[in-house]
Amino acid sequence: MAVLPIVFDSRYLMGVLTVAAIYGIWSVSWDFMSGLTGRENFGHSLFIGVGAYAAGFLNTNWGANAWWSLPAGMAAAVVFALIMGIPTLRLKGPYFALAMLSGAVIMQRLMLIFWEYTGGEEGINGIEPLIRSPLYFYWFVLGMLALTVTLLGGLARSRWGLILKAIRGDEATCQAAGLNVTYYKIASLVISAAFAGMGGALYAHYQLQVSPQLFAVVTSITIITMVYVGGMGSIYGAVGGALLLTLMTELLRNFGEWRLMVYSVALILILFFLPQGLVAPTWNKIRQRLSGGQS
Amino acid sequence: MLEILIFGAVTSAIYAMLAVGFTLIFGVARILNLAHGSFYALGAYGAYVLTTIFKVPLLVAAPLVVVGVALFGMAVERVLIRPMRTSQLAVLMISLAVSLVVEQALFLIFGSEYRNVPSFIDQKYVIGGVDVAGQRLLTLLVAVVSIGGLYLFIQKTRLGSAILAISQDPEAAQYMGIPSDRIFGVVMAMSAGLAALAGIMAGPFLSVQPSMHLLPIVKAFAIVVVGGLGSIPGSIVAALMLGYAETLVAYGISTSWTEIVSVAATLLMLVLRPAGFFGKRAAF
Amino acid sequence: MFKAPFSKRSFSKLALALSAAVLLSPAQAQQGPIKIGLSTAVQLQVGRDTQEATKMAIDEINAKGGVMGRKLSYVVADETENPEVGINAIKKLTADEKVDVIVGGYTSGVTLAQLPHISAAKTIYLGVGAASPSITAKVKQDYENYKYIFRTGPINAVHQAKGLVEWISGHLIGELGLKKIAIIGENAKWVQDLVPVLRKGAVDVGADVKMVEFFDTTTSDFSPLLSKIKSSDAQFLVVVLSHASSDVFAKQWYDSRFPIPYGGIDVKSQDGDFFDRVGGKSLSEVAVNFAVRTPLTVKTVPFFDEFKKRTGRVPVYTAFGAYDSVHAYAQAVERAKSFDTNAIIKELEKTSLPGVAGLLEYDETHDVKAGGKYMNLLFAQWQAKGERVVLWPKSLRSGSMIMPPWLTK
Repeated sequence: MAVLPIVFDSRYLMGVLTVAAIYGIWSVSWDFMSGLTGRENFGHSLFIGVGAYAAGFLNTNWGANAWWSLPAGMAAAVVFALIMGIPTLRLKGPYFALAMLSGAVIMQRLMLIFWEYTGGEEGINGIEPLIRSPLYFYWFVLGMLALTVTLLGGLARSRWGLILKAIRGDEATCQAAGLNVTYYKIASLVISAAFAGMGGALYAHYQLQVSPQLFAVVTSITIITMVYVGGMGSIYGAVGGALLLTLMTELLRNFGEWRLMVYSVALILILFFLPQGLVAPTWNKIRQRLSGGQS
Repeated sequence: MLEILIFGAVTSAIYAMLAVGFTLIFGVARILNLAHGSFYALGAYGAYVLTTIFKVPLLVAAPLVVVGVALFGMAVERVLIRPMRTSQLAVLMISLAVSLVVEQALFLIFGSEYRNVPSFIDQKYVIGGVDVAGQRLLTLLVAVVSIGGLYLFIQKTRLGSAILAISQDPEAAQYMGIPSDRIFGVVMAMSAGLAALAGIMAGPFLSVQPSMHLLPIVKAFAIVVVGGLGSIPGSIVAALMLGYAETLVAYGISTSWTEIVSVAATLLMLVLRPAGFFGKRAAF
Repeated sequence: MFKAPFSKRSFSKLALALSAAVLLSPAQAQQGPIKIGLSTAVQLQVGRDTQEATKMAIDEINAKGGVMGRKLSYVVADETENPEVGINAIKKLTADEKVDVIVGGYTSGVTLAQLPHISAAKTIYLGVGAASPSITAKVKQDYENYKYIFRTGPINAVHQAKGLVEWISGHLIGELGLKKIAIIGENAKWVQDLVPVLRKGAVDVGADVKMVEFFDTTTSDFSPLLSKIKSSDAQFLVVVLSHASSDVFAKQWYDSRFPIPYGGIDVKSQDGDFFDRVGGKSLSEVAVNFAVRTPLTVKTVPFFDEFKKRTGRVPVYTAFGAYDSVHAYAQAVERAKSFDTNAIIKELEKTSLPGVAGLLEYDETHDVKAGGKYMNLLFAQWQAKGERVVLWPKSLRSGSMIMPPWLTK
């Protein structure tokens, strides 16, 4: 994947892949918490937006070096994860989802209300690029994506992942078995948020601009769709989902307005016919067939 | 002061119409229907299409649109929601997806510009020195009549009793031979029709554009959570509370803050008392 | 649990295939026609008219043999009113379609977000719709990077404020004796730039500014605001609106038979079909237009007539800018005798041609010059049956002002 833009020598494709990679980071981070624990978070855009705005503020208003944005984005997202997560994680599935959604909507509104500080609807402009060369930036983003997948994938396969999946299965039993369920839930949300915020900061330095649109429901839904396509809980599947959906909708770029329609319809279809997702099960099948053929 | 009283009432009326339908379908079928806002939007757009493009008189168009959207609601329930009923989360997701599809369809067909829905009444009335547009007063009236009618329907008719039975104890109702599935369809139709009616009434003076479904559903959800999921009186009370809270904020501080009122109220309620004021079903 | 290298390889194959598909699906043509990229809000009237006017100018130029022997063509990208989408539109036009020049713009916030990307692509940009002075301010601050940016229209927000002040002084106060005014504007960047200048200017010419308030662009219920205005004791309501709120505002103003007439800058009110869209409820609103069908220059009347012939409607302000931009670009290329971007920029800076609304010249910040023989603010009022009557400047007046029907009893 890293060599693709060089092979095709297209700035446009590089742009598309950069965005796909960032969506990959967001999807993987979402999958880590919601995919494993089954507590779907409809407000993931909150962490993304907070990370992006943190980058925006630091870089423009406070003139900080762009590289501070990454840790700042993560920190901001973590703070919000704690604020939102602690009170809401004891709610049942749909209510947790909607509570998180409310959080994102409130942030979006606040950005608009305090337009004198945040630039309102038009957001913050004039953010510096992190790395001037688009190619190097792309590789950097890919690197961050690989890092995210490795770290979170590793956690998912370790004892952590087992516990989170157990929580999805039956929370009460886990509690009875002596596990500090609340700690794990909050921790996974915080980790998920941190990476989402980091992705948000990267995005800010790519678009060179942040706007309240980042907090929109659509962003969260897009990511959830990508994870569904990839296969819930598989971590690496989320990357596949992000890539697939981004490229697919770019194919329809002449019908740019149809992009959201595609996502929505795709979501419905997936929910109906492929609740296990597309990418992960397919790879598993291919793997099985190949290892079956070899033995 | 009087202004706040009147405008607050009109706002509450619209919200009540949306909330009652939302809580009804939840109380009966345990469906959190995020596409409810789409019924509202389709009501307004339906009225626009029939009156502006097909030149149908408003009085004829209105009932046609209400019935049309009600049928659409039934279809959505039957085809998309019913198969998913095992998981509340799946229902949530799919209803959300439906609302996005509807929004995109409206956007692709009509564009993002605001559309004009004609009013029933074009006059202005003066009540105690306050100028009120006739259409707003009519909306208030229609809301009271339709919600009152719905409530009576549920209390007094056989179908209404069946609905009550299912909401109280679905299994027992099934044993008694009440056809739950068919009734879900009917309830969805009523809920959708009510939302569409709200759209037709409010369209003339509020904004009609493809994303108009979003805020109403957020507010309806807020009201229903505060009032208690499944409780119609709870929804009405909460609608009044929210409508007035918003109006007070709008007049006192600024209109920009009104949206936050409902969302913040939802969040607070969920965190502090998930069952709402009157609710029997808890959120956990 | 799974062999990472294995799945990554298969991944790459899939990605490769899809990328190839993405690239091979059309979009390039390098030699041959000159490509003009239109970045505009396709869904709105401003977007549609930008395209139509561009088409008109292209047809005229191509009929005369094109530019240095090459024909002109155009492609469109939807920037909507959202900065993110706008940035993607620029990327599509520059990186994918590889256009030679970009024309367009509407929402200042979107244009501002696009600037760094336009500059990175080293492509000339001729703005036709966004009014914030910040857009061209960069030209002076950082010429090397932002010399590509030009604004053909509209007059920037500060100049518009001055135009408004002139009208308030000459018409509202001078002729109608209405001194007490209320000012409301939506929360958009260019309005934020404009209102302070407006307020100070109005006070300086003797107006009694009773209140100044901003409101959210997404406001759908204006009752609280209208109530505030009513109790402010103002005699005229000066508005500064550009986005969707115009429609809703007009309807609610009319429905409540608001006792104060209103007018000012209302961009949506420039749409030819605005009156019908709001069911006639903008009756008696006085709104700014940048050109009307009178011989402001030699091009004005022919432009309006040709536009009406082609589309059946009256053009909105972005059309003037688009038409003029294409001609200015074509002439600059002809004078430069080359397609080198820097040479074209030098020639563009020397532009002086009769535009639709006035003589077109750029100042030292590549911003369109305003006042006098250049572009001006014209004030037209919606009257019965959707007719627009010019009230100001006096030299162009075509009828007398009316009051809202319920106030003339």
